[in-house]
Amino acid sequence: MNPPRFIAGIRDYPWRSLLAGLLPARFQAKTAQIVPSASIAGNALTVVIAIMSFLACLTAGAVYMVNQSAQAWVNGIASEITVELDPVNTADIEKKMTLVSLFLAKQAGITRVKPLTAEDSAKLLEPWLGKSDALSALPIPRLIAVEIDRSNPPDIKTISEALTQNFEGVTLDDHRRWQAEIRTLTRSAALGGLAVLALVAAATIAVIVSATRSAMASNREIIEVLHYVGANERFISREFERHFLGLGVRAGLVGAVAAAITFLLLPVVTHALGGGSLTATEMSRLVGSGELDLPGYLLCVLVVFVVASLCTLTSRFGVIRVLKSYA
Amino acid sequence: MIRFENVGLRYGSGPEILRDVNFHVLPGSFHFLTGPSGAGKTTLLRLLFMSIRPTRGLIFVFGENALEITAAGRAELRRRIGIVFQDFRLLDHLTTWENVALPLRVMGKAEADYRDDVTDLLRWVGLGDRVDAYPEVLSGGEKQRAAIARAVIGRPELLLADEPTGNVDPVIADRLLRLFVELNRLGTSVIIATHDYALMDRLDAPRLVLHEGHLEVR
Repeated sequence: MNPPRFIAGIRDYPWRSLLAGLLPARFQAKTAQIVPSASIAGNALTVVIAIMSFLACLTAGAVYMVNQSAQAWVNGIASEITVELDPVNTADIEKKMTLVSLFLAKQAGITRVKPLTAEDSAKLLEPWLGKSDALSALPIPRLIAVEIDRSNPPDIKTISEALTQNFEGVTLDDHRRWQAEIRTLTRSAALGGLAVLALVAAATIAVIVSATRSAMASNREIIEVLHYVGANERFISREFERHFLGLGVRAGLVGAVAAAITFLLLPVVTHALGGGSLTATEMSRLVGSGELDLPGYLLCVLVVFVVASLCTLTSRFGVIRVLKSYA
Repeated sequence: MIRFENVGLRYGSGPEILRDVNFHVLPGSFHFLTGPSGAGKTTLLRLLFMSIRPTRGLIFVFGENALEITAAGRAELRRRIGIVFQDFRLLDHLTTWENVALPLRVMGKAEADYRDDVTDLLRWVGLGDRVDAYPEVLSGGEKQRAAIARAVIGRPELLLADEPTGNVDPVIADRLLRLFVELNRLGTSVIIATHDYALMDRLDAPRLVLHEGHLEVR
């Protein structure tokens, strides 16, 4: 690429004419339309692109929420370790809980030690086993939740070895396996989202290519006259691409606003559809609060830019390709 | 400026419409291109304008081989040529003023720089009161004058006109001829395809006569 030529191209580009294409046809100056807007694309194309934009925003937003939620999970479990006491072959489990807790509290880098009662441990199993008195008869492992100072973390390996040597049937779980699984889940969601976005982009390109060909066929006479008065390929393609830029921005905005409303209403709709507290809990585990934050909405704005750029560039290359076939 | 060397043209496997055509168009020259209907006048103009390619022979336009020129190069050369089509080729969704201004827009000129020039030219060709009219409400003669105005607005180095006075009365025809002569005096080479002998008799200019595919200069 020749940088001075590139800069001159940007400087000399008829931005005013291009921006005029953003306006709906009835607001555009008549002199701006060598290729009439009405001959480019109907409402059906705008609706299709708006739907594509909506789907892209939904996908991007959902992946973003899952990612944020997973990040919160990882942050949470990375700040904690769990010590598990085997209840079998332990005569006085409560005494052992106290001794282990005292031992942990003395270690550097540990900010809080919270022994869970037998009832607390049983409650953790309730979602799978339900409420039952039989739970108290089961040898449920006892747990000690330990919060660590992330700025000055303890030597987990040393503590784990010390626990194993000093206390029989005591193990330490640093949640690494969970962290790895959450990261795998996040990556899978991101890849799935990217695949959906790629499909949406491919469908958008295919629709615009088809619309460009159709627009050029219906404006063939105009193209011929433009050729006769000395218009080059770039001039002709600009006359088409500014219409497609306007279409992309308008349709992209409609899709993004619809997606933003969907995200705003998502918690309300989930509740209205009969989701109880359990559903809400599961949803919050998956997508956090279920609401997009500011960066999430900015992602939707980015989708509008991408859709508009896709429409503009696809129409440009489509027009130039068809013009070359005329030659 | 323009050089044809042994140019021949046939459509598909049909007979040759043009055979061994040789001629030069010098800068500042004025030619009539004539011949009976169907002799190939329009075809020769299309070759001059590079909208079709010859079957054989060589064509040089402003020193460039028309057969080897790129699309971008052809667009550049066409900006130096004005053409008036027999069927006018005005854009129906643009006003007369916008149609005439089209070559200047294509050249990238600012509207403020040519607004008055376009209006003055339209007045000169008798369309001063039709600047905002669309082609569908113009008469054949008015369309022809608008097409001529569009061809000459960019002060081309070469003007090609296909039957430019075919749809106008003698008074307007005379005025248009004076416009062509004036342009020629300013340095534009002019080739007018016509079978209007009355028009040709008004000016002492060489005639390129097409007959049975051959071109003869008289």
